[in-house]
Amino acid sequence: MPSGTKSNPWLISGFLLAVFLLGWHFFTMRPTFDSRGMTEEQLQMMEFNGDIVRTNDGGYTWNPEKEKVKGVPGPLAVLEKARAELGEAFEKKGTNDHGIAYLVAYTVSRFAAGFFAASIVAIMLGILLGLNKVLFRAVNPYIQILKPISPLAWMPLLLYTVKDPKWTAVLVVFMAALWPTLATTAFGVNSLRKDYLHVAAILQLSWMKRLFKVILPGAAPTIVNGLRISFGSALVAVVPAEMLLGELGVGYLSWIEWNNLDIAGVIFAILVVGFVGVILDSGFNKLAGLVTYQE
Amino acid sequence: MAFLQVDHATKYFPNPSGEGQVCIFKDVTIKIEKGEFVTTIGHSGCGKSTLLNIIAGLETMSEGGVILNGREASGPGLDRMVVFQNFALMPWMTVFENIALAVRSAYPDWSREQVTAHVHKYIALVGLKGAENKRPTALSGGMKQRVGLARAFSIEPKVLLLDEPFAQIDALTRGVIQEELIQMWNTSRNTVFMVTHDVDEAILLSDRIMLMTNGPEARIAEIVDVTVPRPRSRATIIEHPHYYRIRNHIIHFLVRHAKHEPDSEAASAEASVSVAPVEVNFEKESPRAQLTAL
Amino acid sequence: MSNRRSNSTDSTDRHESVRLSSEQYFDRTVEQSVVAAVLQATGPTRRQLLAGLGGAALTALIGEVLPFDKLKAFAADPVGKPEKKDVVVGFIPITCGTPIIMAEPLGFYKKHGLNASVKRAAGWAMIRDWAVNKEVDAAHMLTPMPLAITLGVGSVPTPIYMPAVENINGQAITLHIKHKGVKTAADMKGFRFCVPFDFSMHNYLLRYFLAEGGVHPDKDVQIRVVPPPEMVANLKAGNVDGYLGPDPFNQRAVYENVGFLYKLSREIWDRHPCCAFTVTKEFATTYPNTFLAMWKAIVDATHYASSAAHRKEIAAAIAPTNYLNQPVTVLEQVLTGTYADGLGNIKKDPERIDFDPYPWHSMAIWIMTQMKRWGHLKGDVNYKAVAEQVYRAADCDRIAKELGYPTHQATSMKHTIMGKVFDPDQADAYVKSFAINSMA
Repeated sequence: MPSGTKSNPWLISGFLLAVFLLGWHFFTMRPTFDSRGMTEEQLQMMEFNGDIVRTNDGGYTWNPEKEKVKGVPGPLAVLEKARAELGEAFEKKGTNDHGIAYLVAYTVSRFAAGFFAASIVAIMLGILLGLNKVLFRAVNPYIQILKPISPLAWMPLLLYTVKDPKWTAVLVVFMAALWPTLATTAFGVNSLRKDYLHVAAILQLSWMKRLFKVILPGAAPTIVNGLRISFGSALVAVVPAEMLLGELGVGYLSWIEWNNLDIAGVIFAILVVGFVGVILDSGFNKLAGLVTYQE
Repeated sequence: MAFLQVDHATKYFPNPSGEGQVCIFKDVTIKIEKGEFVTTIGHSGCGKSTLLNIIAGLETMSEGGVILNGREASGPGLDRMVVFQNFALMPWMTVFENIALAVRSAYPDWSREQVTAHVHKYIALVGLKGAENKRPTALSGGMKQRVGLARAFSIEPKVLLLDEPFAQIDALTRGVIQEELIQMWNTSRNTVFMVTHDVDEAILLSDRIMLMTNGPEARIAEIVDVTVPRPRSRATIIEHPHYYRIRNHIIHFLVRHAKHEPDSEAASAEASVSVAPVEVNFEKESPRAQLTAL
Repeated sequence: MSNRRSNSTDSTDRHESVRLSSEQYFDRTVEQSVVAAVLQATGPTRRQLLAGLGGAALTALIGEVLPFDKLKAFAADPVGKPEKKDVVVGFIPITCGTPIIMAEPLGFYKKHGLNASVKRAAGWAMIRDWAVNKEVDAAHMLTPMPLAITLGVGSVPTPIYMPAVENINGQAITLHIKHKGVKTAADMKGFRFCVPFDFSMHNYLLRYFLAEGGVHPDKDVQIRVVPPPEMVANLKAGNVDGYLGPDPFNQRAVYENVGFLYKLSREIWDRHPCCAFTVTKEFATTYPNTFLAMWKAIVDATHYASSAAHRKEIAAAIAPTNYLNQPVTVLEQVLTGTYADGLGNIKKDPERIDFDPYPWHSMAIWIMTQMKRWGHLKGDVNYKAVAEQVYRAADCDRIAKELGYPTHQATSMKHTIMGKVFDPDQADAYVKSFAINSMA
């Protein structure tokens, strides 16, 4: 390659995507229906069972309705599903069938509520623990035990005590988002350079000034890292929480599509979750950029 | 009663290797008059930094007390400002904001204009005009400590505590900043307590130098008067007849109390016999007396 | 009281041994206060009597728990308006719940003055929690569930009323297509089966079938609880050999070309109950008029569904995403009874699934004997008392009568399951009569 030419990462990206899509398409392609060699009875059977449908010219072809559920669907099937869902994005066709726009809104709001609540609690507690070594050592064992428990494992207990599935879903997200932020905040505050705290002490800063001018900005990069991990953890938790609790949302959508063995629908739901995650995550990057500093 | 007095300070630390305690220094008494510039020199681990922290109120001593201007000083305060070895500038604040933080704490009733003017004055004083909005990460070591000095001087503390302030600055810049410090101090004449390894620095800056023995149970063995008159400068100080006598005396002391060697018999004898620090003054004593003191 | 007797559904002279206990308690409460008050309040004309009796009958259903003054108040107002019009009914997306589900799109709730929405649950445990936590006002449940929940088996004990059965028949044993050659239960030793819930007719029927074939359900095969849609997926993946599950998931397996219908559940016990419409006792007593309106809507819908002429319409109505979210073909095959069996045949069995709301006490008793048989229920049970308390048979008939549907002569009857007769009066003996059981 002549020197001076830059390889464009986007070109490579696009190329990889094209290869993937083509491969996916060919892998899931099926030969067109060939009715030769089949008895009339067999054809009737297949038509009755919905495998094939009659075409305008009297022949047969695979039933597109059934294509959705035969094994892994190809990219075209997913695209078709996406088109259908997005077309009805803002409709409410019944208690159990709201448009995708609403579902995204429900999931995001549920997620946001749990995440913000958990972040505030975790940061406050984390600062408290970070500043007080004795307290930290006393509480740390409990944190270590509770931290690795999957948030979904809390669900039955929460449902039993809280009873309301809407709040339970939010609390599951809360439990997922709490621990990473708590642990990293405590760590970040604890490992804040002592000199900064000394300066704050000498300058006789009020506790509020100390918190907002020294401790929080000092620990901010670590805290934001913790928030990032919590964020991912919460996003992972909200989807199965919706499935298990039957609360309308994107997770619920993927369960319902699964109920109908509509894999194209499931893939679509997954993509929506991913898309929502990307948007929220980029918001995070902006936040992280605001608070990093270099020593 | 001296302006700043440390009385019979003793400090124990828990023994890192097992049980019991280690005594870092024992029964240390320091008397510093107002406007004096006093330095402590000793090997690493003799507890001089701990001593400084105790005066600053950042650490507590096991026995003894600190008295400033007749009142006991416990806990940190704006009257005893520290200049740190690793600068301790908040990296998320600009130069201006770092100094302003201190100024606002010291003068809470000032208006914003007053604070701004004051901060700019000190930034100019340390020669950092133009760098107000820079973050510490964009500054060299020398510049950072200038900010540290500006911050310290700007609150006009009763006592200035310098904890090996130039140890992390390259040797060439060090000399320049030392002279800048002299300039600043000449105007404000705060009482200063400094800790350093650098003998030349100590002689250049101080009125008196305290020599500490090694730990455990370190104590101030000698107090050397720096009999070179002010104003001093790096170029001229080395010409003074007492300079090298003082310098050699201190170096001999440090060699005698080398850290990893067990104190020589003479040294330990010295340590056990004389509790009060010996005053060494090349103006007062005859050369012969100095030799016997060695 | 002779008028009442001739209008009522019970006729003591025409029956042999089975007693009408619900009638007896009706007698008790009615004779004690209510009808007297009603008759006095409304006056003696026949029409007014009937109207008054309608009110009295309705209030008497819940008479034992309502305070006397409330009864009087109700009695004075023969047409009770629903206390709350907006109700939520939970359902599971299977064809068993057809009457509950179709009542929304086909307007049965509306017809009886209710603004109802049907809420879809992801599984039976979820719907149980919804009912107990009052997330829903009424719920679609498996017929054993009201008994289990009332008795506190596998849940916080909460008294549940089961005023109506949803469907009878409508299940099947579906096996993986590779087991085409299987002939009897004995061939199924070592198989891995699924059922939707422990306390389900599916579980009890499967176990009965296996036991009759000499296969011990707890020792010779594995039975796992799996949500119905996952049954098909598991079958596809080859993780299970078969299941006794609710439709449309049996037909779905055929539709997916992975399974075949080995045996319809009606071949095990014809007209067996499957799913039910339930409310908590608390709801029924707090909102009696709403409860009755719902009940009427359900009974109405159930009778509509039992007619073969309506089945296609119903299939189309409950297929959309908001309800069952299944292809219409599959639902049609289940509901019309003209279906592909997975072995290359098209079969016709219009009674593959049927709908009859009458909650026979004897069905409840059978279920309890099986619960005892397999160790789900321990200790002594007063079968009759529990059945009466939970399965509101006589009351169901009163509603049916009001709506103009046929009624029944008794609340219990003998049932024949795989050739063996079950006599509800000999429940204890029945339980002990099985060689294969897990009671120890």
